[in-house]
Amino acid sequence: MTAVEATRVTKTFGAVTAVDAASFAIPEGAITGLLGRNGAGKTTLMNLITGQDFATSGTLRVFGERPVENPRVLSRVCFIKESQSYPDSYRGRHVLAMAPHFFPHYDAALADRLVADFDVPLSRPVKKMSRGQRSALGAIVGIASRAELTLLDEPYAGLDAVARHVFYDRLLEDYAEHPRTVVLSTHLIDEAADLLERVIVIHGGRIVIDEEAEDLRGTASTVVGRHADVEAFVAGRDVMSRERVGGIASATVAGLSAHDKARAAESGLEVTAVSLQQLIVRRTGGDPHDARTHTTEEASS
Amino acid sequence: MTALAHERPAALSSPGRRIGNVMRMHVANPWPAVLLPWLILFAIHAMMLAIWAIISHYAGPDLDADAFRYSGGISWIVFYLMSIAIQATNATFRFALGFSATRRDYYLGTLAFFLITAAMFSTGIGVLALVERATDGWGMGGSLYAPAYLYDRSFGEIVFHFFTLIALFAVIGLLIGAMYVRWRATGLYAFFGALSLVLLGLTWWLLDAGWGPVGRFFTETPLVGILAWTLPVTVVLAVLGWVALRRAPARG
Repeated sequence: MTAVEATRVTKTFGAVTAVDAASFAIPEGAITGLLGRNGAGKTTLMNLITGQDFATSGTLRVFGERPVENPRVLSRVCFIKESQSYPDSYRGRHVLAMAPHFFPHYDAALADRLVADFDVPLSRPVKKMSRGQRSALGAIVGIASRAELTLLDEPYAGLDAVARHVFYDRLLEDYAEHPRTVVLSTHLIDEAADLLERVIVIHGGRIVIDEEAEDLRGTASTVVGRHADVEAFVAGRDVMSRERVGGIASATVAGLSAHDKARAAESGLEVTAVSLQQLIVRRTGGDPHDARTHTTEEASS
Repeated sequence: MTALAHERPAALSSPGRRIGNVMRMHVANPWPAVLLPWLILFAIHAMMLAIWAIISHYAGPDLDADAFRYSGGISWIVFYLMSIAIQATNATFRFALGFSATRRDYYLGTLAFFLITAAMFSTGIGVLALVERATDGWGMGGSLYAPAYLYDRSFGEIVFHFFTLIALFAVIGLLIGAMYVRWRATGLYAFFGALSLVLLGLTWWLLDAGWGPVGRFFTETPLVGILAWTLPVTVVLAVLGWVALRRAPARG
């Protein structure tokens, strides 16, 4: 069963194409990562899936139906976005008081526990909360709603590392007990990588990767060893990147079979799987920030 | 995985319940729309009493009987609720959609909320007007709740007067709010630009030839008749508000 099915979905804003003929399917009962750089079209895509915005062309089906203005679909959906706006007069407790009326499976007891975990000041006006506190409030509603399709758009912007891990732990715990379909958009890919069962990468509005996380992880490996050995091994292969420091070199190559890996090990090379983050950075045309870190590392070592 | 949907109870609640939930959203914090106006009203009331007392003290027996009949201490409530309606659409629309409400449920719930608010304020003002009469204008011959042309009207007429006007201006507020969420500032510039042109044309026409029939309408139609004419206008504006909102995106 698929929760979301998109066929050539396009959304333009004037001259800008935010989502460009995106076709993909999100399976039911899994955690799917919607990954991509800032401005890649993640939020626009989630706005379209939840009927908050209107597609320019293409068709979208959520649980088999059009989501736009469809209460049958929307009552099964919870979409928490970083930019969620709250009425000016609302305090934290007003937000939580409204949630059970809009999310039929909402668990108030779970929300109370999460409030304690995240230490959210419920009597503070939402307007006066810090970015992290507002994110935590959204994350609490998102997890406690237990909606059949839960979309979380950058749910932990402004949260520190400890609070982010509380988020991952609580989400996984509750997901294990109450399976549902989760779509998580983030650019902290390495942190969230273990959660993800499926990965959709959007770049410049186009879907560039749509694969099982496990398959994706196996698609590239890094071999490290003496320069000559590395060069001999990678000759004729699809090399995605190369680095060299003195006599030691490393190369990232696509599609190594178990046999290839054994051969590499025999010739004294160390083979490691490429992290999801590195893989995606390479597939989405590289990230200037990431490239800079690499060169400084090379220079210092 | 395929059994997921069957493990859960039916999630969809009735349209009435969904619309009720949107109304609830407007009063989760009842302070700005329900409590604060009454507080301001009572503060104005206290000030009016003080001013009337000062004037009667110095004017003494020379004071005209209708001296305190034309106070304007109540009309602000119509505009206050209009501004609440403008803000409500901007802030609660995106919140409601973020909480998986449809635009239709949101608009009907919001409309219902403002009609109930109009009924509540108009009835409250009507009751206070009765108290005002029973106490001989708070002991000083003042008319705060039923001033000027409402002075000798019945309870029903006073309530109808405030209900129709609050409803009309709240719906104008909703329309402005809906145009803002749909077309942002550009839409409002275009709208108010066009509105000024229309009003200018109307003034021209009134001064030139039209004053006769229009003047006759306002002087010859009874008050209730004039107020009743706001109802179709309110309905038309409410429909226009929906036309603007039904394709409005809920972007951040």
